[in-house]
Amino acid sequence: MFREFIFPGYVRLSRASRRASRRTSERGRFIQTSAVICAAIGIDTNLTLVYQLFAFLLCLIIVSRLSLRFQPPRVSVKRRLPKYATAGQTFEYFINVSNEGGQVERDLKLIDNPRIIPPDIQQFREKREPGEETRNAYDRWIGFHRFVWLQRLNTGIVIKQGDVPEISLKANVDTRMEALPLRRGMVNFTSTTLLSPDPFGLNFSMTNFNQHEQLMVLPRRYAVSKTFELPGGRHFQPGGVNSAWSIGESDEFVSLRDYRDGDSMRNVHWASTAKRDKPVVKEFQDEFFVRQALVLDTDTGDAELLEETVSVAASLLLQMENSDGLMDLIYASRTTQIVTAGRGYAQVNHQLEALATLEMCHGATDKLKKTMSSHRKLMSGCILVLPGWDESRQQLLNSLSSAGIPTALFIVTADADKLTDVPANGHVLPIHDIAERLAQL
Amino acid sequence: MKPRIIQGLVVLAWGIQADLIWFALPMAITLEARYFVNRRWALTKQDFYRVADLTSIAMLGMIIFLFLNARTYHFITALIQWLPIVFFPLVIVLAYSTTEKMTLDILFYSLRRQKEPVQQSWDMDYLLLGLCLLGAGFNTDDHSLFFPLAATAVLWSLFPLRSTRYKTGIWILAVSITFLSAGFTHQVLREAHLAVKAKTEQWIANWIMRRIDPLKTRTALGQVGRLKLSDSILFRIEPDGDQAFPSLLHEASYDHPSTGASMEWSVWETKFSNVPHAGDFTWRFSDPGPTETSARIYLEFSRERSLVPVPASLSEIHDLPALEVKLNKYGAIQGSGMVPSPSFEIKYSHGNQLYSPPGEIDLYLDEKHEQLLSRIVKRSVYPAEITLAFIQNFFSDFKYSLFQEVEAESNPLEHFLYNRRAGHCEYFATATTLLLRQMGVPSRYVVGYSVHEYHSVLDMYLVRQRHAHAWAIAHVGGEWRVVDTTPGVWIAEEDDNANLLQPVFDFFANYSFMFQLWWNKQKIEDYEFELYVIGGILTFILIWRIATSEQVIISREENEKTHSWLPGRESPFFKIAAYLSEKGLSRARGEVLRAWLIRIQKPELLPLLGIHNRWRFDPRGVDANEKIALNAQVDNWILAQADQSEK
Repeated sequence: MFREFIFPGYVRLSRASRRASRRTSERGRFIQTSAVICAAIGIDTNLTLVYQLFAFLLCLIIVSRLSLRFQPPRVSVKRRLPKYATAGQTFEYFINVSNEGGQVERDLKLIDNPRIIPPDIQQFREKREPGEETRNAYDRWIGFHRFVWLQRLNTGIVIKQGDVPEISLKANVDTRMEALPLRRGMVNFTSTTLLSPDPFGLNFSMTNFNQHEQLMVLPRRYAVSKTFELPGGRHFQPGGVNSAWSIGESDEFVSLRDYRDGDSMRNVHWASTAKRDKPVVKEFQDEFFVRQALVLDTDTGDAELLEETVSVAASLLLQMENSDGLMDLIYASRTTQIVTAGRGYAQVNHQLEALATLEMCHGATDKLKKTMSSHRKLMSGCILVLPGWDESRQQLLNSLSSAGIPTALFIVTADADKLTDVPANGHVLPIHDIAERLAQL
Repeated sequence: MKPRIIQGLVVLAWGIQADLIWFALPMAITLEARYFVNRRWALTKQDFYRVADLTSIAMLGMIIFLFLNARTYHFITALIQWLPIVFFPLVIVLAYSTTEKMTLDILFYSLRRQKEPVQQSWDMDYLLLGLCLLGAGFNTDDHSLFFPLAATAVLWSLFPLRSTRYKTGIWILAVSITFLSAGFTHQVLREAHLAVKAKTEQWIANWIMRRIDPLKTRTALGQVGRLKLSDSILFRIEPDGDQAFPSLLHEASYDHPSTGASMEWSVWETKFSNVPHAGDFTWRFSDPGPTETSARIYLEFSRERSLVPVPASLSEIHDLPALEVKLNKYGAIQGSGMVPSPSFEIKYSHGNQLYSPPGEIDLYLDEKHEQLLSRIVKRSVYPAEITLAFIQNFFSDFKYSLFQEVEAESNPLEHFLYNRRAGHCEYFATATTLLLRQMGVPSRYVVGYSVHEYHSVLDMYLVRQRHAHAWAIAHVGGEWRVVDTTPGVWIAEEDDNANLLQPVFDFFANYSFMFQLWWNKQKIEDYEFELYVIGGILTFILIWRIATSEQVIISREENEKTHSWLPGRESPFFKIAAYLSEKGLSRARGEVLRAWLIRIQKPELLPLLGIHNRWRFDPRGVDANEKIALNAQVDNWILAQADQSEK
């Protein structure tokens, strides 16, 4: 009750403390705290001379603050983000700083600012910080750590402060930044802040550069055992694949040969015909290759379970990247989505992008069932990744088995002991044990 | 970078200022020695936890010690002055370990369980520096030294950490401004504090004067009664030898009853006169009689308590540290500027009387009281002995009752005398005093304590708050005589009414008192042997722990050594590189010299670079002539550049 009462104050408090911690260096904070202590202890000037120390520290802070107005840095900054980052994996990127002033710029620092998304009261009430029970009683009661944790998770990224190397006149340097994405999806960058210290190194002046950018954070992935093979074999693909190299009859181009009677005029290769002065036609071959599907069910209310399920799907897709077949990623949002990759059709990154942004969907299992009934004739094998196990998911599996499609089943679950009637060949992945299980497949 | 030398100096300064130099000296030496010792101990977090726990225990012990010796040391002052000693083990363990910073879970027990690793840390060297400065500030004997010391310590610590953005000159300018403005500010603070203090004191004095006139000590009917609700032990009396101690200790007496129903007593003459100081905190009230008896009263004075409870036959007070002790004609003894001390000694002899001879006021009765009392006896002058007998007889069928709040609108005295015929001591004392006056005997109202509870283990009398008592004195036969008409059962009734847990509280109160008594008698010299044994054991454990724990040799010359092996390190071309960097044309990270020179458009340096590169990388090296030539060329180029920039 009390926490909910003071909850609105947390947003302001965290903003203020963030600002204060940027403005003041660690030793600056030490000096400030010491000044406060000296003020309290030295209040009786007859008893102690500590008030003299207080006066000195106070003047030091004031002079330090005032001196920030002199010698401001004249630079411009430009951020260079990578195309993707992966949740839970530290990555590096660079911010280019150009010296536009008349002096060498030294001792500058950069802070990159993602858009801060504070949690709402609902989220604050429901979520528990991992390890919260090990915090001390006061921290548990006040709940500020939970707020900070949620805000960090919502914001999605933690970026370390970067030290700008010395920039000579008219030069520019790259400042290495280190960031850790905490969740999949889009992360918004709003601005970059340049910090320039005072002569004592106690306080910093702050200059903000607006730089709005987005970064796609792909789902966290686990290493999948190299021995794991996807089910299913080569399969005739009637009509080929829509945007494969060949067009028209959708067969795959194999070679050129002389014209035979009955060959379609459409297959004449005019360039060669002109060169050889006799008709030459293109020869095609029907396509035979593996086309598999990874079916991801997103029908769950548990956010952590969904994240892990998506991670499992991403890990399996990546394992499949080097096979020469096609892979369809099938999942349901408002409608069922199919993202195909492989054989030059598209990169697995497109699928990962889709995974990065997908959200939980109520009734996804039924939608998938419908889609599979029409799509299954194209498939030579299927991977089912499910967040839990129930009757309707059993039906989905049955419909695939009855069509003779070999299926690998992965069930991600928070509590493995509660699962019943799991098929013998199904892989059960308890939520905190996924990495190990996938590595042992 | 750590603040070298200054830390040792500040520790020494603290030692001198706080009079703890024999602690400070080894501390300073050990601290500074770390820069010359290249041995470090690879301590684990558990080791740090143990040291921190030890520090906590030491701190606790120190707080208890200072608390128990609050008379010898000013508690907060001493605590702050001793803090560097308490924190020193942590600082030194950190200094000689391979760890650099003290994370907060080491210092705060509540963070140790936490799953999330604690990132915040304190730099213990700066903490010690700050604590030493705080401690040194408590010596106010010399005002001129502390400010330069503190300012130098802070600036010395900040100098190595200054920002390289600014030239040293700017830093010095900023320091000068800070120093001057701080010098001015602290003077202003001091003046302001003194002015505010003077003003506040005056204001408080005025306010107190308005509310209670200290010279006109008043009591309200019910004040003693309220005290009676508490069981706590106020003070203890240790009589000398087998002499019986007077059963009543008086605190003040009053001669002027208020008019009307409120029944307050006040004094008619408000003058206090100084008691002569016989040296060594001895205050003489009368000449020593032939049968002087002494006793020691264990009572600590606080700001609230300045009236000294004594027997009415007091002749001398000894061991009462005060600036002055005053006495009024009613026997109230008031000390001012009293320093807390555990006990004071009193001497008293039979026949002495603190009270002044009676005056007209001691017979004063207002009309209302006279009317009220004339229902008992008509106002006249009766023989004193008959009066006393009459009064004892009159109150003999009154009952004692515990304290009750009086109703404002009723006349409590009338209610007591005619209706209820029961009350607590204040009623009896007031009624007796007034009745004595009605019958022509000069009388006064006295408040104080009854001394009757003897504690055989302590061999002392205990006086509790509920032993507060009031009685009358009558001037009969040329001396003041106690007329206590309160029924004798009051002691038993009050005791019956005591808190059930009182024995428990008493137990702790008495044993803590006994411990204090014992503690105050202890001298460190008596324990030399024990201290040597404990010290020896601790030193042995320490040496054993150090000898058996894992150690690491740090090498601080590593960088310099690798540098010295760099071939061609002495090439003069580095001077050019440094010169250009100074001019703001420094080389980017990873940029080769040649590309750099082309970028900054200094092609004239390329031939020199060629010789430099051969000097550095050619296995055959360069000969002496080439070296001399390069040196000359480099110097010439730099001189030429300097000339150009001057023009």
